[in-house]
Amino acid sequence: MANLYNELKTEWSKYAPNLEHCATLLDGFKLELVRSNFGSPQASSSSKQKEQLVRYREMLEIAVEHSIATKDYAAFERYMAQLNTYYFDYDKVLVPSVHMHKFMGLNLLYMLATNRIADFHIELERLPMALLTNNNFIKPVLNLENYFMEGRYNKILQAKKSLPAEIYTNFMNMLVDTARDEIASCLEKSYDKIAPKLAAQRLGFRTGSKELSDLAERRLWNVDDAGNYDFAGLNIRQVEKVSAKDIASCNLSYAQELEKIV
Amino acid sequence: MTSAVDIGAQDVEMEVDPTAETLADEKKNQDGAAVLEIREQIRQIEKGVSSKESRFILRVLRNLPNTRRKLNGVVFRNLAQSIYPPGADREAALALMPAVEKDATELPDVPKKQVASKAPIAEVDAYFYLLLLVKLIDASDLQRAGVCADALMAKISIQNRRTLDLIGAKSYFYYSRVAELKNSLEGIRAFLHARLRTATLRNDFEGQAVLINCLLRNYLHYALYDQADKLVKKSVYPESASNNEWARFLYYLGRIKAAKLEYSDAHKHLVQALRKSPQHAAIGFRQTVQKLIIVVELLLGNIPERVVFRQAGLRQSLGAYFQLTQAVRLGNLKRFGDVVSQFGPKFQLDHTFTLIIRLRHNVIKTAIRSIGLSYSRISPQDIAKRLVLDSAEDAEFIVSKAIRDGVIEATLDPAQNYMRSKESTDIYSTREPQLAFHERISFCLNLHNQSVKAMRYPPKSYGKDLESAEERREREQQDLELAKEMAEDDEDGF
Repeated sequence: MANLYNELKTEWSKYAPNLEHCATLLDGFKLELVRSNFGSPQASSSSKQKEQLVRYREMLEIAVEHSIATKDYAAFERYMAQLNTYYFDYDKVLVPSVHMHKFMGLNLLYMLATNRIADFHIELERLPMALLTNNNFIKPVLNLENYFMEGRYNKILQAKKSLPAEIYTNFMNMLVDTARDEIASCLEKSYDKIAPKLAAQRLGFRTGSKELSDLAERRLWNVDDAGNYDFAGLNIRQVEKVSAKDIASCNLSYAQELEKIV
Repeated sequence: MTSAVDIGAQDVEMEVDPTAETLADEKKNQDGAAVLEIREQIRQIEKGVSSKESRFILRVLRNLPNTRRKLNGVVFRNLAQSIYPPGADREAALALMPAVEKDATELPDVPKKQVASKAPIAEVDAYFYLLLLVKLIDASDLQRAGVCADALMAKISIQNRRTLDLIGAKSYFYYSRVAELKNSLEGIRAFLHARLRTATLRNDFEGQAVLINCLLRNYLHYALYDQADKLVKKSVYPESASNNEWARFLYYLGRIKAAKLEYSDAHKHLVQALRKSPQHAAIGFRQTVQKLIIVVELLLGNIPERVVFRQAGLRQSLGAYFQLTQAVRLGNLKRFGDVVSQFGPKFQLDHTFTLIIRLRHNVIKTAIRSIGLSYSRISPQDIAKRLVLDSAEDAEFIVSKAIRDGVIEATLDPAQNYMRSKESTDIYSTREPQLAFHERISFCLNLHNQSVKAMRYPPKSYGKDLESAEERREREQQDLELAKEMAEDDEDGF
């Protein structure tokens, strides 16, 4: 176990770690974890066992970073779930990890980026209030959620430049993509027509860039004579039809219920 | 002079003595009455067990809040003599008893005839320990309460008797309460799960209901909404649980749903919880639920009615929420921020703080709606000023989202730099009114059905009003004749 730990740690601390080699090491680590019954600690655990647990935790943290480097998000979720037990449940036994808040923030960002807002809030409930308002890793993510809900997508595009940690980049890109989709759909609904230059600015693209024309094509935006995007065609509201069948079934059910009463 | 003082002092003593004596006497009488009452209850329990009627036991348990007030060391000592035969059992019970108050006088020993000669039945044993546990909690003797609770659980766990279910259910609640007071809720989770499994297998509905509630409370205590949600999903809450347990369950459910952003579900559950809770007692519970309802309603975009804040008993505790509601109603971001910072700690205590933080964008929405209603044209700069935002660009993004979400009907014109409100559409040309109407009707019908189900009928009275076969034949004959006559009349009429 100790060998595995040292090898993984040295490999991962290199400038460009060998991802494949790390993956094999991590496989070995997972087996080890199962053998040790997931390291469930007791309050009376000896210092040696605690040391072991701290090592497990550190390796899990590396595993999380590795899963992001390889873009294996299913693995990310699994590792994060395991890591959370170390952060939340073993906190009485172990000294808190220095990276704890970084990974908590990362997890929150992941939920935000994958649009799992309910899970995001449930996770928030578990965190103490002081962290939410002051922590350098968690507070920015919380702000992002706020911007997202309020519709200040421009702030999200800006926030990309000021990330609390390098490792957040991947998820931040996901979030920015989601935000762009949202912006595009807002543009469609709220403008009759818009100049490409302004649209590019709103979406955070460079004017005349390929991304913009790709997006316009994907969302079927028309270009009018003056070269503006014209959304009039997308906004025609369908006349709502009142379905006779629905009304009939409603009325029948009322009649049935009334009959029960009388 | 001295003699006068002496006489005066004597006078005082003379006055004091009899009152003290009568007080002691009164106390003794009360204790005596309490002992007699509990003995009667024990007889009821025994009757319930022998006739397998849980009704009698239920009645005894329903009286628990009253009994609870009458308990003290003297009463317990006396009861132990008549319940437990001398020996290890009695010693164990005596060791747990609360100390006798200084001014209390012991009741005379139980006459030989009434001293128990054989061990009590399991139900009586459990009931005695339950009373003991409740008393120890009231006396905040947590250490002994813990021992007592463990002993009680050991007694209940080894039995498999349906008549014990009701007492068991009550016991689980207090067991969990002791753990909560001792701040060791985490440790009892596994035990509660094991008991829940057993209760489910044995169709012990009351036990199931109480255990699920205890577990939910346990999870929510540590803000483990995920686990609580999973528990609710995987278990079936027994339909026949008592109203109070239902009220608790619905409240927990409401909290879980609110945390998961399912506000309309949360609102539904919370309103039901409020309806199911006792109407006159349990003020604390109603306050807690009402607070949560207000926040959830605000999150839904509705403004609670003023009457809500004026109810007797709730008025004071809802003060902070009233301020909050006003801030949201006016769409005033600054005031909202003030309220949140002023009452922040209070909201945190109420477990509503995280929900209230989410309200921020509702405040913005309301503000934008009122701007949309009052201006036909307004520039983003002005909107930004009104909403206290950093820049006009922010305002434009926010308005743009509001338009997409259907908060206001407007378009943005970038060339001339303003927002133009559209004519609002006639809501009566849509299906909206019909849906609202449907919702109300189904609510009423559901209410009616629920209340019919909730009615109780005395056993075997359904046959009383029914006519016998003979009577029916007679009546039908009469009906026929009547019909014939009427038909003839009709014909005559033509």
